[in-house]
Amino acid sequence: MSAIAVEPSNRGIAGALPRAAARALLLVVGLAVLWGVWEGYRWLGIREHWTWPFKVNDTNMPHISKIWHAFGQPLQPDGPPLRHYLWHYAIFTGKEALAGFVLGAAIGFFLAVALSQSNMLRRGFLPYIVVSQTVPILAIAPMVVVGLGTKGVSPWVSVAVIAAYLTFFPVAINTLRGLLSPDPEALELMRSYAAGRWKILWRLRVPASLPYVFSALKISATASVIGAIIGETPASLQGGLGYAIVNFNQYYSIQPANLWATIIVCALLGIVFFLAVVALEHIVLKRAPENVA
Amino acid sequence: MPKPTAIAQAFWDQKSALWSQGIYTFKEALGGYALGCSLGIFVALLFAAWRPLSSAFMPYAVAANAIPIIAFAPIMNNWFGLLNPFSKMAIAAVLCFFPVMINTLRGLTSVHPSSIELMQSYAAGRVSLFRRVRIPNALPHMFTGLKVATVLSMIGAIVGEYFGGPTEALGVKILNDSSYGNFTDAWAGIVMASLLGIVFYAVVALAERLTTSWHPSARAFHTE
Repeated sequence: MSAIAVEPSNRGIAGALPRAAARALLLVVGLAVLWGVWEGYRWLGIREHWTWPFKVNDTNMPHISKIWHAFGQPLQPDGPPLRHYLWHYAIFTGKEALAGFVLGAAIGFFLAVALSQSNMLRRGFLPYIVVSQTVPILAIAPMVVVGLGTKGVSPWVSVAVIAAYLTFFPVAINTLRGLLSPDPEALELMRSYAAGRWKILWRLRVPASLPYVFSALKISATASVIGAIIGETPASLQGGLGYAIVNFNQYYSIQPANLWATIIVCALLGIVFFLAVVALEHIVLKRAPENVA
Repeated sequence: MPKPTAIAQAFWDQKSALWSQGIYTFKEALGGYALGCSLGIFVALLFAAWRPLSSAFMPYAVAANAIPIIAFAPIMNNWFGLLNPFSKMAIAAVLCFFPVMINTLRGLTSVHPSSIELMQSYAAGRVSLFRRVRIPNALPHMFTGLKVATVLSMIGAIVGEYFGGPTEALGVKILNDSSYGNFTDAWAGIVMASLLGIVFYAVVALAERLTTSWHPSARAFHTE
C-alpha cells in the first residue's frame, strides 16, 4: 500500500525533467502536424479547385508563414508593427477579463457559502441560478455594453461585468457541491468536538471544496476571456481584441492574415488564463491529502 | 434597460416576425448541435476504444478547450459565406464538440474495474463490454455535455450572426435594433432567443430523464 502511495512523489522528483521534455516535444510535434495538415490541405485544395465545404484559396487559408509574417508588418506606413497593437489589445482585454474573473469568482464563492448554510435558501435560490444560465448571456453581451453605456457606465466596466456573469455560475455550482461534499462522519466528528458553524465551514467545508473550486475556475478562466472579447464587439469600445476582430474582419478579403493573427492572440490569451489557474491550483493544493501521500 | 411590460408588449406585437427569425436561428443552432454532438460522441468512442490515441490527443483537446473558440466565428463567416446558414452551424458545431467529447469520454472510461472484471469473467468481448457496461455508464456524463451544448449552440448561432448574417436571422435583428437604440425590440428578440434556448435545454433534459432514470446517479440526485 505504501509503495503505491509513495510512487507518484518519487516520480515527481526524478521524472519531472523528462516529463517536461516529453510535453514540450509533444507540443512541437502537435504544432508541426497542424502546420502540415493546414499546408497540405491548402495545397491539395488549390490544385484540385475544392469548393466544398469551402473554397480553398489564399484568402480563406493564408500560408502559416504569411500569418507569422503579418505580426511584424506595420498597419500604417511607417507605423508600429501589428504585434505592437495586438500586444496592447491583449493587455486591455486581459485586464477586463481578469477584473471580471476575480469579481465573478468572489461572488460565486460567497454565494455558494451562503447557500451551503441553509437548506431553505438553497431550495429557494438554486433554481433561479440555474435558469439564469439558460439565458444566452453572450448573445446579450453587446446590448449590456451599449445599454450600460447610455447610463454613463464606462464600457470597460460593462465588459468586466459580462466576464463576471460568465464566471460566477460554474464557481457557485461547483463550490456548493464541494462545500456539501464532506462525509457525514467528518461532520459528526467536528460536532463532537463542539465545533461551531464557522469552524466547520473553515476547517472542513472550505478545504474540502477547493478541488471543486479549481475545476470550476479552469472553466471560468476561458469563459471570462470569451466574455471580454464578445463584450467588446460593439464598436463603442476601442482598444481590445474584440474590437480588433471586428475591425480586421472588415478587411479580411484584402488582409486575411491580420484577422488570423488576432485570433491566434485570442487563443493564446485564453491559454494563458487557463495555465495561470492551473499554476495557482498546483500551489494551493500542493498540500492536499491526495497530493502529499 | 426597458420596462418588462414594454418588452412583453413588443414581444406580443412582433410575435410572428420574432417566431420566424427565431426558427431560422434555431435551425442553425440545431444543425450545428447535431453535427458537433455526433462528432463528439464518435470521437469519444474512438478514443475509449483505442487508448494511445486518446493519450496523444487529450492534451490538445484540453488546450483547444481553453481557446475562445467563438473568436473563430468571423472566419467561419468568411469561409462559408455570410448568408450561408452553414457558417453558423460550423461555429455552433465546434462549440458543442468539446464538452460532449470530453464528458462522454470521461463516462466511457470511468467504469468501475470490478464491472470490467465481471464482464471478462463471463468471457465478454470488447463490443459487448462497450454495449453493456461502458456506454450505459457514459450516458449520464454524455447528457451533462449534451445539456451544456444546447446553450452553446444557441450562443454560437447568435454570436455568429452578430458578425454578419441575413436579415431574417434573430441575431442580426437583435444587433440592428440595439445599434439603432431600439432596446425594447432588441430585448424582445433576446426573450425569444432565451425561450428557444430553454425549450431546447428542457427537451434534452427530458430525454436524459427518459434514458437514464435507471442509473444510480439519478437516484442520488433525487435524494440529495
